[in-house]
Amino acid sequence: MKFRVLLVAAALAAGAALTACSSSSSSSTTPLATAPVSAPATSSTGTSAASSTGTSAGASTGASPTGSPLTIADVAPFSGPDAALGPTYLASCYGATAAINAAGGVLGHPLTCKSVDTRGDPADAVPAVNQMFASTSGLALVIGCTSDEAASVAPVINAHKMAMFCMTGQSEFDSVHFPYFYRLVPPDLEESYAMVAIAQQLHYTKIALAFGNDIGSQTFIQPAIAALKKAGMTLTTNQTLDLHATTFRTEAEAIVQSHPDAIMTEALGAADPTLFQEIMQLNGGKIIPIIGTSAAISPDFFKSAAQAVGAATLAANFHADNLVTETSGPAYAAFSAALLAQQGKVPGATGNFTTYLSAPGGVHLYDGINLAALAMIKSGSTDPSVYSPDIIAIGNGTPGATVCYSFASCASDLKANQAIRYEGPGGPTNFDSFHDSTGIFQIDTYSASGAVNVAGNLSAAQLRALSG
Amino acid sequence: MTLFLASVGFGLVTASVLAIAAIGFTLQFGVTDVLNLAYGAVMIAGAFLAYVLNQAGLNVWLGLVVAVIVCSVGSVLLNAGVYAPFQRRGASPITMVIVSLGMTLIIEFGVQAIAGGTSVSYTMTQGPSVTADGLVLSTVQLVVIGLSLLVMAGTHVLLRYTRLGKAMRATAANKSLARNCGIRTARVIAITWAVTGGLCGLAGVVFAMDAGSFDATSTDLFLVLILAATFLGGPGQAYGAMLGAVVIGLATEVSAAYITPSYKYVFPFVALLVMLGVRPAGLLGERA
Repeated sequence: MKFRVLLVAAALAAGAALTACSSSSSSSTTPLATAPVSAPATSSTGTSAASSTGTSAGASTGASPTGSPLTIADVAPFSGPDAALGPTYLASCYGATAAINAAGGVLGHPLTCKSVDTRGDPADAVPAVNQMFASTSGLALVIGCTSDEAASVAPVINAHKMAMFCMTGQSEFDSVHFPYFYRLVPPDLEESYAMVAIAQQLHYTKIALAFGNDIGSQTFIQPAIAALKKAGMTLTTNQTLDLHATTFRTEAEAIVQSHPDAIMTEALGAADPTLFQEIMQLNGGKIIPIIGTSAAISPDFFKSAAQAVGAATLAANFHADNLVTETSGPAYAAFSAALLAQQGKVPGATGNFTTYLSAPGGVHLYDGINLAALAMIKSGSTDPSVYSPDIIAIGNGTPGATVCYSFASCASDLKANQAIRYEGPGGPTNFDSFHDSTGIFQIDTYSASGAVNVAGNLSAAQLRALSG
Repeated sequence: MTLFLASVGFGLVTASVLAIAAIGFTLQFGVTDVLNLAYGAVMIAGAFLAYVLNQAGLNVWLGLVVAVIVCSVGSVLLNAGVYAPFQRRGASPITMVIVSLGMTLIIEFGVQAIAGGTSVSYTMTQGPSVTADGLVLSTVQLVVIGLSLLVMAGTHVLLRYTRLGKAMRATAANKSLARNCGIRTARVIAITWAVTGGLCGLAGVVFAMDAGSFDATSTDLFLVLILAATFLGGPGQAYGAMLGAVVIGLATEVSAAYITPSYKYVFPFVALLVMLGVRPAGLLGERA
């Protein structure tokens, strides 16, 4: 009898563990709570201000803001296989809000950042977001919402009439209109084309695919296969990597035996580093060239992959697509100063901090926060239902608008009642009717120290040639 | 054929890591009556301890020894501080499972809070590879297989030829009767926690070596494989765990070679369910 009870208990526990494994990035069965982090706000008087109004005249004085703090929530994975994404966005949030607060804040309010861990899983993300709305005072903007959870949380956030800048390339957002949804990154299918274009540029003809089994990674596969076919390349094998598995030896062997010129991959967490190491072992100590997505441009990815195969080997064999971002000029100067001032202060940010200067989330969410903050000033309100339309106006500009490159200078122009067009380190913004604004791609590589180098650019014509 | 041989080789490595873990897990369960689901969390804690020492400049094999010792002591303390008090109060087996699940979260998130969410790797060389047709195994993998064989042989000697082993088997079979026969069951249980805790630490480090890159949640799925190997062989049966580990390890890798790799864990579990339907007590029957 006792044995039977224990057998049932074990089965229940195994089931619970398996469910946790398959539906969550970590083993926890508890819904994830929102986790406040130390905020870079300079003051926090007052109690709550979910929304407030004011005049643009008082927008940005350069004096320390004394109003109640406004919160920017970083809704992203902070644990599980995609745990590197959350800290990347948080670094951007810390940098942007510190610069904004130093310039007087928004309508007298300082900005703070808050992390909301989705664990990269919709099942954890929705309760986490609901809890965020229930427990966060002064919530003014949401950033993050990656492909892991965007499909489930974007409608929830939109229903709460909260503006969001999402880091998702999912194609469903290309044609579904959410009034509060904004995106400064391209659809995944364009990134798939960019990866194939890199392969073309490097004269590879035989390609193996190895993508994680998460939503965010799986969306790359079909467009990549179609683009490979259009480019006349050979798909040698298509391996799906279970992000919870601990080894991929058989998958690595299948890749090695298919003799590809290069591997296109996105499998974050421990998966890609493990795969690379096993491919090296099974390929006589040689790594097969790798083409990654822009998500691989992060210090955490470099650190893990470099530990697995060696920094020099990774640097010599790795390329990734990335959106073109500024590397000089006034926008970059303001951005790099703001971000690098946060070095050592961002929870969870490890590795070479300068990589964040090229990380898509680091650059584009910095721009998103500035756009939202400036829209608040322009509209004189911190209520997203009021300021949201001004994000478009400031991003796309209007005829005769003054181009400005940092929050401080743009806020100053607004104070002088000038029409502005914000152009940040992510380059010019052009929102379409679905609030999508995408740029053009570049090819990034790593140096052995983890610094990101631009190895070339991809033209729009190159991508068009691979599409549909 | 080449891919088949390769997958068999990989399956043997997976089975070796799994066997070390499953032997410790099933012995622990058989003797102590605690289905310790925190076993995977203790494994990863041991793996991270070896990582910290490795990053401080210590050879990873020395780190392994330290992890074995610390996990052994830690497991004894885990029992003394958490499980034993609940058992003394007559907690049901289901309650103990819930308690161990709680400990899993506490330990795992504790490790994550300290180590962070990113994956890490040991600084070590895999050594030259041995190749035979499709079979490619690194020196480290061969050492892992050797360690596993050593653990299996050691367990056999312990259980069959030592007084402690006999006392463990007697305690596992019937605690009250063993106590009435003069066996100090409390001491046997404490030693079992120490021995199986050491095996847990060993399993954690070889698991991390084998995985190449690991994070605080890496053993989540592996714990399910441990449970599968344990129940396939028969819970509480050390030899059953060895057999179960080989079956699960080989089935996982061979199925990955011929079925889509995303379903490589499905096939072994289908086999497990079928087997449990036929023999609910596992391949090697009732507990010893």
